[in-house]
Amino acid sequence: MVRLITHNLLACHAKGCTSNNFPLKLQDVAIEVREAEFNPDFVRGFLPRLEWKALVQAARELGDTSLPEEMPEMVDDGFLKNLHHVLLEIHIDEGAMICPNCGHTYPISNGIPNMLLAEHEIG
Amino acid sequence: MTSQYLFVFAQAHAEFRIPELLSIAELYSISIQFGVEDLSKLDVSRPFMVLGLDSEEDARKLARRCILIKSVHDFWASGSTYEELHDCTRRNQHLWQKYVKDTSFKFRVDAHNHSIPQRRQRDVMESFDYMNFLGEINMKAAEIELCVYEECMYTYPDKHGTTRHKLEGDGQFIAVYFGKLIEEGTARPLLTKFDVKKRSYFGNTSMEAEISLLMANQTLASPGKLVYDPFIGTGSMAYTTAYFGAYVYGSDIDGRQMRGKGSTPGILRAASQYGVAERIMDLCTFDVTRNPWRCGEMFDAIITDPPYGVRAGAKRLGRKKPFDDQPYIPPTKPYELSALAVDLVCLARYMLKPGGRLVFFLPTVNEDYAEIDIHSLLCDGMEIVANSLQDFGSWGRRLITVKKTTAEKFPPPTFDTVPASADATAAFDTPQHIPAHKDFREKYFQGFKKEDADKPEASPVGNVAGSLAALRILGDVTPNEQTTVLDRSL
Repeated sequence: MVRLITHNLLACHAKGCTSNNFPLKLQDVAIEVREAEFNPDFVRGFLPRLEWKALVQAARELGDTSLPEEMPEMVDDGFLKNLHHVLLEIHIDEGAMICPNCGHTYPISNGIPNMLLAEHEIG
Repeated sequence: MTSQYLFVFAQAHAEFRIPELLSIAELYSISIQFGVEDLSKLDVSRPFMVLGLDSEEDARKLARRCILIKSVHDFWASGSTYEELHDCTRRNQHLWQKYVKDTSFKFRVDAHNHSIPQRRQRDVMESFDYMNFLGEINMKAAEIELCVYEECMYTYPDKHGTTRHKLEGDGQFIAVYFGKLIEEGTARPLLTKFDVKKRSYFGNTSMEAEISLLMANQTLASPGKLVYDPFIGTGSMAYTTAYFGAYVYGSDIDGRQMRGKGSTPGILRAASQYGVAERIMDLCTFDVTRNPWRCGEMFDAIITDPPYGVRAGAKRLGRKKPFDDQPYIPPTKPYELSALAVDLVCLARYMLKPGGRLVFFLPTVNEDYAEIDIHSLLCDGMEIVANSLQDFGSWGRRLITVKKTTAEKFPPPTFDTVPASADATAAFDTPQHIPAHKDFREKYFQGFKKEDADKPEASPVGNVAGSLAALRILGDVTPNEQTTVLDRSL
């Protein structure tokens, strides 16, 4: 759990933390690769929602270098398969995500990230 | 070319029947002719319906996905008496002529609201002898099955759900239908598959299987779609939605509900049981009113059963009182239902893709309910698709389906809705409408008594059938809101 697709969608939401709050830094992560069924339409459809640079950076930190630096103009099946693997098959089971701006630590335990805020962090 | 098909429906959740048909028709781009201009005029208290479809394939698709369909048939004839039925069958000879020569067949004679003695079943079958079917009668492997359904009306409608006296008779015969079976409703057995009792992980707020399946159908769940449940709890709707192929995100303010005991989260354990663990996209612990989603317009549907405040209290981050010296866990405060509902629709408008759907339950006090209660929840660009009541007597819950009809972009909601209140009403010249689900929790625990009620001891639920169903929904009702689950870690 905590697939990289999820990591690409979560930003720090503490009070006042509105810039440089994404992507969250990965720390001490334990990952597992689990196979998932390939749905090219879903992956293609999700492309416009992705923050590409953040995704590539996170994938490289976890040792997957299959994605190009820039989002390619032409989307072929091989590329979609690599993207599918990065988005859906790499799971972060333990570790933490840290806000690059305010330093808030969001711990991940058994694959579930705790994104709850303390009371001084809510508006 | 449109042909007519005879649908036999399960006699449960009658108000959900048409919305489900319409949803699945939309999902598969099927056009259904109901034969009436205004769908609200259809009588859903009767289990038989003759509908026009473009092809047999469409009928099969509906039967494979709609939970409330028991079977679909080629429609050959109907009548208010057997003479009428036979006349109609003779007139429609072109529909069945091709089976006369050498098709093996068998008969099914069934009835709604009464049972036909075997002797008379044979008489009914033999009354069709003018059709001159020459093929063999084969009870085990017939090529076609001819179905006759009699319909009787309860002469004593108030006795619904009770056993009739044996001498009371069959009630009033109102119609008989005849057709050839196309397909049994193969979605209906999913009720057994998703039975909560057989699930490896569930909690006291888990949603029953049939409703979870109906909700999943309302979302138009299908492969490649992304669906979100912001109050996922023990995940009841996630399993059914994922079963139909969609990926599901879930979040909850209380991580213990999602985890249960053990190292693998409970929701994943139950999802594995149904073979859909891989479609649970991710689970996150957060308060949806303080959510970390980076952007909107991500989801094809939002499906949720928000906490009503009766068994599981609706909570959001924040402190009830300024000072509180417990060891530090983020404090929570109650989240009033009418404010929650308004916020939920607004959140859905931000988070849904254009054309996406929000499907959720809203409990309401039946006596006070008015249609405006639902319309007052809406904001620009969100339209009601369906509103079906599950009735428990003096209260009920409404399954609301809302569609995002706009492609315009909206900012994330601020979650600062102030619930309508009598005080606020006094401040306006025109009285503000107070919806029936406002302060549902308080009303529930007061037994839905009016302040000036004549009867001092009104019970929370009005009748026996209602109270049984209500107890199933609410469990052992106690006014405290401690979750009974399980380990302590958030």
